[in-house]
Amino acid sequence: MMLAIEARQLSKSFEARGRKRRVRTVEAVHDVSFSVEEGERLAYIGPNGAGKSTSIKMLTGILHPTAGAANVLGFVPWQQRMSLARHIGTLFGQRSQLWAELPARDGFELLAAIYKIEKGEAQRRIDELSDVLDAGDLFDTPVRNLSLGQRMRCELAASMLHRPRVLFLDEPTIGLDLVAKQRFRSMIVRLNESQGTTIFLTSHDVSDIEQVARRVIIINHGIVIFDDKVSRLRRSLLSTKLVEVRFDSPPAALELDGVQVVKESGTGYKLVVDTERRSIREVLDELLDHHRVADISVVDPPLEDVIARIYKEKV
Amino acid sequence: MRAIATTMKTALIEAWTNRKSFWLQVSFMIANDLAIVVFWLLFFRKVGTVRGWDTGHVLVLFGVLANVTGIAMGILANARRLGQMVADGELDAVLALPVDPLLYLLVRRVDTALLGDLVFGPLIFVASGHVTAESSVVFVVASLCAAAFFVSFLVILGSVTLFIGGRGEQAELGFQALLMLASYPIDLFGGFIKLLLFTAIPAAFVTGLPTRLLTHFDWGEAGIFLGGSLGAVLLARLVFHSGLAHYRSGALWTRA
Amino acid sequence: MSWAVYAVAFRSSARRTVQAPGQLVIRVLFYGVILGVLSALWKVACVVNGGTIAGYDFRSMLWYLVASEGAVIAINPRLIEYIGVDIGSGGIAIEMLRPISVVGLRIATALGEALVRFGFAVSLGVAFAWFTVGPPPDLAAVGLALPAAILAIGANLAAQHSFAAIAFWVNDSKAAWFLYQKLVFLVGGMLLPLELFPPLLAHISRFLPFWTMSYVPARLLSGHFEPWLLLVQAAWLVALMAGAAVVFGIGQRKLEAVGG
Repeated sequence: MMLAIEARQLSKSFEARGRKRRVRTVEAVHDVSFSVEEGERLAYIGPNGAGKSTSIKMLTGILHPTAGAANVLGFVPWQQRMSLARHIGTLFGQRSQLWAELPARDGFELLAAIYKIEKGEAQRRIDELSDVLDAGDLFDTPVRNLSLGQRMRCELAASMLHRPRVLFLDEPTIGLDLVAKQRFRSMIVRLNESQGTTIFLTSHDVSDIEQVARRVIIINHGIVIFDDKVSRLRRSLLSTKLVEVRFDSPPAALELDGVQVVKESGTGYKLVVDTERRSIREVLDELLDHHRVADISVVDPPLEDVIARIYKEKV
Repeated sequence: MRAIATTMKTALIEAWTNRKSFWLQVSFMIANDLAIVVFWLLFFRKVGTVRGWDTGHVLVLFGVLANVTGIAMGILANARRLGQMVADGELDAVLALPVDPLLYLLVRRVDTALLGDLVFGPLIFVASGHVTAESSVVFVVASLCAAAFFVSFLVILGSVTLFIGGRGEQAELGFQALLMLASYPIDLFGGFIKLLLFTAIPAAFVTGLPTRLLTHFDWGEAGIFLGGSLGAVLLARLVFHSGLAHYRSGALWTRA
Repeated sequence: MSWAVYAVAFRSSARRTVQAPGQLVIRVLFYGVILGVLSALWKVACVVNGGTIAGYDFRSMLWYLVASEGAVIAINPRLIEYIGVDIGSGGIAIEMLRPISVVGLRIATALGEALVRFGFAVSLGVAFAWFTVGPPPDLAAVGLALPAAILAIGANLAAQHSFAAIAFWVNDSKAAWFLYQKLVFLVGGMLLPLELFPPLLAHISRFLPFWTMSYVPARLLSGHFEPWLLLVQAAWLVALMAGAAVVFGIGQRKLEAVGG
């Protein structure tokens, strides 16, 4: 597999004026290194101000790094920005690349001119994207009159018009309702699977990560603190299981070794099992042997909790 | 070139979609321009000729100035907002495209209200009584060069935000000062201020020289003017492009 | 009780203006440039005309401009635009939930900002004029010029709020603003005294509200002791405030009816 993105010790610091106009240097991104293979779906996450957007902007050539090196599809982004721009697509959730007063189709025509796409080819591509994105007549309505979800689908089409090999998405689902979010996610996955587009996604929404990405990089305070498969994120980092149990009658006292009661209400209990101290099998056996259990379920802790815990850990 | 032309076309179409308010705004703008002309009519009516300037002279000046503002603030409406756009991180969207960022940015937005100036400029020039076949050509060329000076000035001031940060206040002040100074006869000023008008606030090149060329044409001065406007454009490009390496996008905390 | 609310709005806006001095510095500097340019213009004009034009010599003309420009430049030039945006975005609808006059509170806020700018600008203007032509021609009239300037700013703000309310009906109030501004510049006497107008135009100008916003304080500062001008200003101020209140009242009912 060919590398789509490679970052080596990428750093960016800004000078910020604090109170009393004192100038201090803020390290937005510090020594970040990673690589992404072509065709991957990567989530790049971190708390507010962690350096996600700064990283994306360096990889797309918008910002010049203070130190380090990067290579995107064989280009050094900030030196060969224009050449690189032909091969990548960008979608920033809070900025529109379309023209508010005009239908998206007019915006596409302009983008076709900018990307030097021949007219017939542009038309074919618009039809194709209209199919993939279930656009219907969305492209012919003035952008101003679209709902946010509809607008984001048009934005996605705009980003994909020139068949980019890598698509950078910076918080693309922000502000979308649940249904629009799910729809948007499945479209990104579909684009990745049908066209082989590498997906580089930042988000605060855990479902974006679960449903779109296969691999996740977590950065905090400008430093990479986790880089692995999404499935591993859940398992490797939290050695706990969540047990929800309902008894026939309220138990006298529930004290089990290595188990913490996080919630109780009458007959219902929520327990956290530390699987390093006791295996889940032992705990279940004990529960079933000593109590009259009406219902029981074992689940992984929510990914949100896992990530929140990673964020909080001192680096 | 196809990209830039299409962008301009799209900007115009977008401006055109709101036609009702388009004509309303154009007519308000012409009324607005007329008010200034009325001031000068009243002024010369009471005062008479001042250092060689009479009503016809001032009308030539406003003909050029209206063309300049029509181009620099109407067609290239973003020129004035460059500093603010830098501060707000609005260059992101431009830099993600494979186009010349400065050129694209300038043609990206049209301000309909100020297009009225492009109607007003030629009309007021005709009213000045200085129209001949030759002067009409000079009028068009000189207006373009003057607009190039004006836009270059705005781009340089806006690009300064790339280096020093802030919200582009210096650009707004420079813009206001240049526009104001360019709307008065340059011969009112002498000594240090006149030097300023040929250098730091180049009002001399926005209206002073063009007006002079239209009333007393001189090949030497015309050559200097043409060459100067080209130089100004190149300087503006240089400043903007070297500033891009310092662009910091719109991350909120950088404004702390 | 409600007066205390307006006073708080006035004070906090005045404080904000000083604490974030970027805009303040720009406006004051711009005022300085205008004064410099107009002073050059009128100096030449007076010399050409043997010393006086329509009763103004260079000294009284420069003092005239200090006040006429100062009273106008004090007001945020984008005020109307901001009001228009707040109306268009429905921001006004939120203010309408408070148990006080929306327009009253807005004018108090704008006045706080304007008086601070006026203070700084006119300090610069007085220094400039004094240095260039000496003290104002009539000290008694100067005493009237200060309250007249405050009335002028108040009247201007009230009128702008009536004008901006056009945004309740039309999307873009920018064009209307240009026209309003030029009316103040011209028939308000900001660029040149009404005495220089042709008789008919001068006559009409005195029946419009605009001359109370610039001409009156300038006329007084230029050495003309004419106290009755203050009465005209006060009358127009009341009328314009009432007009602004009525227009906002209608606009608010409209917003309530269609739900912003």
